[in-house]
Amino acid sequence: MAKSYLHFWGVRGSHASPFDSHLQVGGNTSCVEINVNGHILICDAGTGIITLGNKLAAQQNIKEVTVILTHYHWDHICGLPFFEPAFIPGWKINFYGPGESIQEMKQNLDSQMQAPYFPINTENWMANINYIPPSTKKIRVGDMVVKHHCVHHPGITYGYTVDTGKQKIIYVSDNECQFLDKSIKMKMTEFSEEEQTFLKEINRGEYEYELKSIKDADILIHDSQYTPEDYEIKRGWGHSCYVDVVNSSIDAGVKQLYLFHHDPSNDDSAIEEIHEKSINIIQSRNSSLKCFIAREGLEVELN
Amino acid sequence: MDTELPDVVVVDDNAVMLKYFEHATKNLALELHMFKSANAVLPFLMENKPQLLFLDIIMPEKDGLTLLQELRRIPLHLDTLVIMITSKDYVQDRTVAKKLGAVEFLTKPMPMVAITDIILKYINKDNPY
Repeated sequence: MAKSYLHFWGVRGSHASPFDSHLQVGGNTSCVEINVNGHILICDAGTGIITLGNKLAAQQNIKEVTVILTHYHWDHICGLPFFEPAFIPGWKINFYGPGESIQEMKQNLDSQMQAPYFPINTENWMANINYIPPSTKKIRVGDMVVKHHCVHHPGITYGYTVDTGKQKIIYVSDNECQFLDKSIKMKMTEFSEEEQTFLKEINRGEYEYELKSIKDADILIHDSQYTPEDYEIKRGWGHSCYVDVVNSSIDAGVKQLYLFHHDPSNDDSAIEEIHEKSINIIQSRNSSLKCFIAREGLEVELN
Repeated sequence: MDTELPDVVVVDDNAVMLKYFEHATKNLALELHMFKSANAVLPFLMENKPQLLFLDIIMPEKDGLTLLQELRRIPLHLDTLVIMITSKDYVQDRTVAKKLGAVEFLTKPMPMVAITDIILKYINKDNPY
């Protein structure tokens, strides 16, 4: 039986950052491979998918992959024009992502591969391209069962739960967690007492939805782009402050958290500092949560 | 004289948010229909055209914008008045909602009067509220 693993090919948010100061963590944008017994699920197609594609094209055993997209912002699809298996006859590539129809999904991917922005388009892909209908609730990839949920980010954006049969892996690349909580706290005094009572309950319901979506994850890969100082300025940009992510992970009973979608303006030392402070929060709450930096090239063995 | 009450539909997965709507509109002369998901409201909307449809965006399985996109393909709902109600205050969502013909974009948390004002703006100007 082939080994099962999760491999980080791209961990950066917003745009690629191939700078000397960033390479201990990595400069490629979002792409995570989940390989269970030789069945490959690729989470997002940022620049990280290019290196993965080169590796796949160089081997002969596997000729099919499934790519699940959280959304269509550039940093999550810009590796696709350079994804080598798409240009090789005999390969099958399944795509799934948000949208009302297959046509809309296809259009979203076609748009970035058109003149004058790119010399060839998706019609030039030679692999068998299969768009999984967006109405599909559960996707099966080998032993893996994949389900989506909606998250808080501009446009319709998905988080994914991947059940390998032995472990629950949750991938939430972009999400501004606890957003309503902050909105309510900022405006609370503007409401009557009666409204405040309702809003506290509404807020509790929203937080329960957030927790339910990551509950009991064995592995959670989550947007942790901002420090509290960044978040003061960038609230409403669709990304999380690591403090909220760590606290939500503890509250949801997550076992392992991988800090992901690093801000391109944060160099290696800034991300190490975010990690250290995350550990401090975990210790101060006496939690057993394990927290790691998602680093490009890091491979995590799966059960 | 037509005495039939106007139908107002609210779709939101947060049960307390539905209660908030119920409370806010208790003195308005309207028929409030509440649903907790896109899939739950679809059978109702296949047969009924409400005077006003409030849609949350982030909901399990199907989001409110995708639901609206589907509704716009149904002749009955080409011009149904739709108001988004969401904590997602992003330009991209506002743009998509506008393209799909949503007439308002109401961000949570909103005071009850914001709900009643919008209802009165779009329906039944003679409402006794």
